[in-house]
Amino acid sequence: MNVVESRGAGVSLGGRTIWRDANFALEAGTITAVLGPNGSGKSTLLNVILGLVPASGGSLEVFGASPRRGNRRVGFLAQTRAADSVGSLSGRDYVGLGFDGTRFGWGRDRAKLDAVRQAIALTGTTSYADRPIHSLSGGQRQRIALAHATVFSPELLLLDEPLAALDLAAQAEVVDLVHLIRDRTGATIVVVAHDLNPLATIVDQVLWIARRQVRSGSVDEVVNDEVLSDLYGHPIEVIVTPRGRRVIVGLEEEFAHPHPHGHDHSHEDPHEHLAEVYEEETS
Amino acid sequence: MSLHDLLATSFVQHAFYAVTAVAVAAGVVGYFVVLRRQAFAAHAIGHVGFAGAAGAVLIGASPIVGLLVFCLGAGVLIGVAGAALDDRDTVVGVTLTAALGLGVLFISLYSGYADAAYSILFGQILGVSSTDVLVVAALSLAVLVVVSLTFRPLLFVSVDAQSAASRGLSARTLSLLFMSLLAVTTVVAIQVVGVLLVFSLLVAPAAAAEVLTTSPIRATLLSVTLALFSGWTGLLLGVWIGGPVSFWITALASGSYLVARLLERSRPLRVRPVGA
Repeated sequence: MNVVESRGAGVSLGGRTIWRDANFALEAGTITAVLGPNGSGKSTLLNVILGLVPASGGSLEVFGASPRRGNRRVGFLAQTRAADSVGSLSGRDYVGLGFDGTRFGWGRDRAKLDAVRQAIALTGTTSYADRPIHSLSGGQRQRIALAHATVFSPELLLLDEPLAALDLAAQAEVVDLVHLIRDRTGATIVVVAHDLNPLATIVDQVLWIARRQVRSGSVDEVVNDEVLSDLYGHPIEVIVTPRGRRVIVGLEEEFAHPHPHGHDHSHEDPHEHLAEVYEEETS
Repeated sequence: MSLHDLLATSFVQHAFYAVTAVAVAAGVVGYFVVLRRQAFAAHAIGHVGFAGAAGAVLIGASPIVGLLVFCLGAGVLIGVAGAALDDRDTVVGVTLTAALGLGVLFISLYSGYADAAYSILFGQILGVSSTDVLVVAALSLAVLVVVSLTFRPLLFVSVDAQSAASRGLSARTLSLLFMSLLAVTTVVAIQVVGVLLVFSLLVAPAAAAEVLTTSPIRATLLSVTLALFSGWTGLLLGVWIGGPVSFWITALASGSYLVARLLERSRPLRVRPVGA
């Protein structure tokens, strides 16, 4: 059984179609990169899987059932983590909230200490887990956030732009860690990203969302001249460098804005605006 | 009359019980106020309480009833509007101003103008009756029970709303719950320090605690300890040396915060990154 399976599913927000007719499947234990221009609905896909936004038309199943909020089999790393600003908590306490933060009532779960210790060991954060989060570097915070997102052993892990705002060295560390988490826990992982290259070595599958369409397949099947040109409706060339990195020619406009949720509204893309409004409503 | 005799009088004993109950509730709820960066909302609810208390005095009802009605109303309003809107501070500010204006009207219509206004604004801890003490104690206990039952989800939503939402917690419901807790706590704190000085018990001890420790449990306990210290010592100094009790409590609570910030500066680990 596939972990996530979409048969012709779509999403509409406020009467407008974000994407539709998506056909793809995420197999257990794979790593999938979700790529595409700003506001194309990459984060929305994660919200659909989380059960926070309903799919419209077709069917999208998570573990063979309709997505539902609070499914303990699904973990999520948000793009902007509020813990960055409310950083007086220690990393360990923040990771602990990932384990039992949703529990009401008195009493504590004895398994918590072990689970937290293991998540911290897995993410290699033991040496600074007891320091307040605001004293950590961006890369360290991201590792703590990954411990927070995996501490309850989710089988499906959704990561929204985990590489954003990190320098190249920290990006490489996070990519290695994502790979390690998959190998150690067997979790199925979905990574929303802006650039395929840092992830190329660990990715099994690519979902490319653009112009309300979703294409899926291996990197070679999706990231090539034909598929991207067809997807965008104008000629696009994919150049593979001798080291295996891909340079995409013809999409410079879309990748000229590395901060998807900054306040640069100089270019008029109605979908992007919609997606921003939408994300503010659900955040 | 010696200090010993003073402490044995019923009005000082009532004050002692009220201060104790208030300090515990305010210390606990204050931690979340600081964590959620909602100090302004706490401030506003206190001011809305002014209108409630003044209105109650005007129609001859107990001020605490007016306080409860108005503070809870403001808490729900801010909780609902604030969760949906980005300009939360604007909603809070307009609510605050509207209520203050109403309070001025009510108090001007009342013949005992100055006295009533003074005790609402600055507290009248040495005037609390045994009934007041029971009400304050019951409300504080209720706040403590609810906070202890919802501590983890409240903390989760306060620290990382997006992660909490992805795990099925409703930020809106918890925000509403928290604003109600804050409203009730503000009502009891007003009994001791008055509308204008609510911050001294609700924000200053918790802010000091948050600076000094990373653990939520330790920060909550430390916040309660500092609130109790400020409340008890302030009451003692007011009775012994004289001067308004609310002045002493405010001075001690603000002083604790100042000391905490100074201690923080001397510890290299706690340096905040630029812009954080």
